[in-house]
Amino acid sequence: MREPYSILVAGVGGQGNLVCGRIISEATMKQGLRPIVGDTFGASRRGGSVVTHIRIGTRDWGPLIPRGKANIILGLEPVEALRTALRFAGKDTIAIVSMMPVPPSNVTSGNVRYPDLADIKKALESICQQVYMLDTEPVMKKLGSTRVLNSYMIGAFSALDDMPLDSKYLRQAILDLLESEMDLTAFNEGTQSLL
Amino acid sequence: MNKPKRNTIMSGNEAIARGALEAGIGFCASYPGTPSTEIAMNLFEVAVDQGIHVEWSTNEKVAMEVTAAASWAGVPALCSMKSLGLNVASDFLLNLNLSGSGKGGLVIVVCDDPKGHSSSNEQDSRFYAKAAKIPLLEPSNHQDAKDITKEAFRISRKYEVPVLVRSTTRLSHSRGLVQVGNVSSRTRKTIGLHEKLYNIPSPHIRHRELLEKMERVAEEYEESGFNQVKSTERAKLLVISSGISSLYSQEAIQAFESENISHMNLGTTNPLPRKRIKQLLEESERVLFVEENDPFLEEAIRSLSVELKKAPEFFGKMTGHIPSYGEMNTDVVLDALLKLLGKDRKRIEEQARNFEDLLIERPLTFCAGCTHRNFYWSIRTVKKRLGGKLIVSGDIGCYSLGVFYDEAMDTMHAMGSGIGIGSGLGKLQRFGFDSKVVSVAGDSTFFHACMPGLINARHKNADLTFAILDNATTAMTGYQVHPGSKIQDENLQRVQIEKLVRAIDPDFFAIGDATDIKSMISLLYSTVQKNGLKVLLLNSVCRLEEVKRKPGFIGAIPVIIDQGLCRREKCMICAADFGCPALVWDSNTNYPVVLAHVCVQCGACIAVCPHNAILEGE
Repeated sequence: MREPYSILVAGVGGQGNLVCGRIISEATMKQGLRPIVGDTFGASRRGGSVVTHIRIGTRDWGPLIPRGKANIILGLEPVEALRTALRFAGKDTIAIVSMMPVPPSNVTSGNVRYPDLADIKKALESICQQVYMLDTEPVMKKLGSTRVLNSYMIGAFSALDDMPLDSKYLRQAILDLLESEMDLTAFNEGTQSLL
Repeated sequence: MNKPKRNTIMSGNEAIARGALEAGIGFCASYPGTPSTEIAMNLFEVAVDQGIHVEWSTNEKVAMEVTAAASWAGVPALCSMKSLGLNVASDFLLNLNLSGSGKGGLVIVVCDDPKGHSSSNEQDSRFYAKAAKIPLLEPSNHQDAKDITKEAFRISRKYEVPVLVRSTTRLSHSRGLVQVGNVSSRTRKTIGLHEKLYNIPSPHIRHRELLEKMERVAEEYEESGFNQVKSTERAKLLVISSGISSLYSQEAIQAFESENISHMNLGTTNPLPRKRIKQLLEESERVLFVEENDPFLEEAIRSLSVELKKAPEFFGKMTGHIPSYGEMNTDVVLDALLKLLGKDRKRIEEQARNFEDLLIERPLTFCAGCTHRNFYWSIRTVKKRLGGKLIVSGDIGCYSLGVFYDEAMDTMHAMGSGIGIGSGLGKLQRFGFDSKVVSVAGDSTFFHACMPGLINARHKNADLTFAILDNATTAMTGYQVHPGSKIQDENLQRVQIEKLVRAIDPDFFAIGDATDIKSMISLLYSTVQKNGLKVLLLNSVCRLEEVKRKPGFIGAIPVIIDQGLCRREKCMICAADFGCPALVWDSNTNYPVVLAHVCVQCGACIAVCPHNAILEGE
């Protein structure tokens, strides 16, 4: 592994960004590597953007990823994935993005239009090495709750080639931290999502 | 935190709490404030097991006073707060430094918030260490956060001075690996207070004694392991950093491996290890400072360099190589190094510009059912009725979001400033000021800092309405208990806002219901038109806290939209103006829709529709 290996989780308050950071850092530690996890969010308790920066290496790296240096972007929300990608993605970045929007209050109020997913995809593709847009809505319906989206996305991430973390540690971290069958099922479903 | 594994993932704040436990603290006092809150929260979790007294004090000054008392009596004490909290406590700190902190040991942790992610300014609190002439330590990673806190207690006990530990948001709130030690099992018994816990009649003698102590601390700091140097032969450049900036500096230096850059990271930043720094400066031609927020080290080391035969060239915030505002990160250091090394960075295209129209904003908003929205909606309505002649002086808390709610809040500064500013505005009629004045504060803020302002308004007969939005919890920082909370632990006694306010004897006092918009509008409208000091205690609800207390709780008033009465896109008041996340616009059907999974069934929106199209459902 070339270190640091840098993962960004982009989402909205309440989507489980912070839990993603906890799961991936726990798995990192189990594998004998050193994680550093930084979360950026504003004063909003609900509805604001949340970005989690995860650095993996044999020593401690800065808790914020430098411009263009993300290896992976896990987008829990399409616009948030793009917002993060514009700053942190580069030609080596792989983006895995849930296509289920969480419209901000200016959209739900009818004042602003949410952009087309096709345009977001095109924009991401022009920046990143590879983009996976995942149709997560039917899967979440099947699983019974959007609350397991984060475990599903970690499952997708675990299926990537050249990924430094062993899938079994991620699975174990989900079991240890969430103690939820539904999350484990979501993780397993996620591992099949990039096929 | 009871029995941690040897290597544990901890946030900077957890590590600081752990360090205090390993140092054997018996006492902790704090006032909640992001990004410092989790330090005391972690200690609350182990308070019973470890036999520690932990409290949320009324404000930071009180917190520092109670912890000083413990330390004087021989009980090691930790006092944690956010940046702005130290402003409140500083009056006491600049007396305590002279009296000394006694035998127990007193460590003050202050968490600064560069860029003001959760703060109304981005102050650098390190200058308080300089003003108070007390030792200052800055942890630079998570392991350091624990170890330096422990070290701070050692210094404090040895020299009987309060020691300041300074963290910033990115260390306090990020997580990393920490190797933990044992929690001290020392028994803590009080001792007699030492003599002269006051500084008169000769504070200058106490000042001299403090300066002597600091000389000895400085000697000791020369050898401190918390100052790390990684020097390279024939280095072109020396980077001097402190705090979390050390990780950014390391990462940036690594990107220029072939360039021979040395790095000194300082953990003991007041007093400075002058000899060690001077020695390194003698060997350097150019120096770059990387620190959050102000040029604290930069100014101190620049001034120290006059003692050198030949001073190096200095770069940093004072030369514009590092921005003087905002948060530090690796890119900032990379850019500065590139400039100094005369290189071009392969710039990432300015991608943002091409896709700007896709990046819709995500504004901050009140939660579904939050009664603060009801309050500001009422204020907005009353303001319209008064032809705009209404000024709202606001305060610090969730209700600060009023500044984004159609600018329903006009001013917002320090804790308690709303009523103080109102007290001033309320005396301006003779100069032609003709707006009604409403000052706003929450319940925890009321206890923290509003009493002097309110008493001043009463005493001076200021003409204003003081609205207290009482949701009975410190909602913004995670529902900490305060003196007015309805539910108190058995050893805590509730203090009622109503009784306090009545004792101040306002010209008019009423209790209102913030869940009921109609009654609140008429109460506010009639009250602001009365003369003199009016106080409204508005019973409010934090829906998040409610759900935390009663899992699955939901209100009793579900709502439906009567599509026959709805004026659709000709009106849109409910979705576009009221702005509840549960009441949204469906642009396919052009009707408002209630999102069942977001709605808390508070029924507030019924009053908002001018066409009575929002009805109580079943």
